[in-house]
Amino acid sequence: MNRTVGIIGAGTMGGGIAQVAALAGFEVFLYDVSGDALKNCMERIKKDLRASMQKGTTTAPEATEALTRIRPRRAFNDMGAADLVIEAAVEDLAVKKEIFRALDQIVAPRAILATNTSSLSITSIGSLTKTPETVVGMHFFNPAVQMKLVEIVSGSRTSQETVRTAQETALAMGKTPVFCSDTPGFIVNRVARPFYGEALRMLGEGTATAEEIDRIARLSGGFRMGPFELMDLIGIDVNYAVTKSIYEQYFQEPRYRPHPIQRRMVEAGTLGRKTGQGFYPYE
Amino acid sequence: MNEPAKGRKQVSVFIAGESPLVEEYALACAGAGMEVALRFNGGSGGKLPAGSVRRARAGRSVTAALELTNTSRATKRLNIAGMDRTLPPETPILSASAAITVAEQSAWVRHPERLIGIAALPSLLKGRLVEIAPSRTAGKEAVTRAEGFFGRMDKEVSVVQDTPGMVLPRILCMLVNEASFALGERIARRVDIDTAMKLGTHYPHGPLEWGMIIGLEQVRAVLDGMRSGFGEERYRTAPLLARGTLEGPSAR
Repeated sequence: MNRTVGIIGAGTMGGGIAQVAALAGFEVFLYDVSGDALKNCMERIKKDLRASMQKGTTTAPEATEALTRIRPRRAFNDMGAADLVIEAAVEDLAVKKEIFRALDQIVAPRAILATNTSSLSITSIGSLTKTPETVVGMHFFNPAVQMKLVEIVSGSRTSQETVRTAQETALAMGKTPVFCSDTPGFIVNRVARPFYGEALRMLGEGTATAEEIDRIARLSGGFRMGPFELMDLIGIDVNYAVTKSIYEQYFQEPRYRPHPIQRRMVEAGTLGRKTGQGFYPYE
Repeated sequence: MNEPAKGRKQVSVFIAGESPLVEEYALACAGAGMEVALRFNGGSGGKLPAGSVRRARAGRSVTAALELTNTSRATKRLNIAGMDRTLPPETPILSASAAITVAEQSAWVRHPERLIGIAALPSLLKGRLVEIAPSRTAGKEAVTRAEGFFGRMDKEVSVVQDTPGMVLPRILCMLVNEASFALGERIARRVDIDTAMKLGTHYPHGPLEWGMIIGLEQVRAVLDGMRSGFGEERYRTAPLLARGTLEGPSAR
């Protein structure tokens, strides 16, 4: 199995995946074009490891070893040494295509190229490489350290061997892999759409208030959070963008139609917890 | 069955409808110390839950009547109309209304002001809260009586507007439907869809497991009610679900 993992993008997801991989014993090259991003990411990882030491979920030697296994890199060519590269850059197809085109030039022919995309086509990303059979989706969930799930997504030319390697890697990282084909939203982002979409429509139709819908979902349905509480946590803009993307990718399938309430909130800048105001006010 | 507390009025309830809703409500009512008489649709079907007796129709003195049919409009209409004829006008009728709106049921009775819709689907009574939708003519008193009724079972009540699918059934059945579309399109295996939704979104059940818990016929009834009620393609039933199975093809 691959023991050297390259991670591209030192944002929230890239940093989280780097931490998970290092704790699982992988050697990690963490790349970002920005030195500041790398520095901030390493600080976040250190802080998070300190917190997990205090909680007792990680021992001091484990945390120290994990940190030494993460090597921040600003030279893209250093990714060529990795057996598995997980791209976690911004969710922009043009950017990802450029990264994969460049990776194709420097990695070993058998190296696995994974993308952490949540919404873009694996097939499309893979089509730019000489070896599309080695390109696979490995969709981690935020926060990557805590969330157990990894969606392993096969593009139309991904090989079974690549899928198996991605599966073994996810398992070695302590994650639960599930498998799906390369379709808009994969499993979670697609199947969850009605949770938000129907809630927004009910609010718009006056069936119940956001507070009542959330209360019913929690106390009658057993959901941990109601749809409006969850949208506020995710970010109204993020949720709206995912909905729009899936709606468009499924050629305006009415089940995925976004709701005007979401758009109005994005326009107003009331994006949920991160702006202090969404469906609920926050301190 | 619990004995009524001293000084507390004995509550008796008549329940008619389909299995397993009848059993679930009968057990909950008996557990709350109520006298329960019930009738399954079609007469003999269903196992008699502890603390209940069978009756062909509601006695005039019952405190409340519950009609728990989602999957057959004709049977529900017969049950509701029969309760309305038999019971004094002030006796509340609490009726499963996730698939058929209270507004539609109101046209079947002489006293729609006593009709209170409930979001009754199998397994939902396990929750701490019951969602109700009063008819348009129901007064505050009818709502208070329904709250009191569920209060005896230690349930909170949430009052919502009478719209197709109400709140939780609408969300749940659309989740089951979406997962059924995904399964039928071979996007992933059944186990992967359920695992993904439990681990990726912390749902208490995977949507396909939930479909089996609720019952596919019940899910279809709610979806059909929404499709005809809203007149929108959005609520069409997934082909797999329409065939009455979640035995989807393997994706890999």
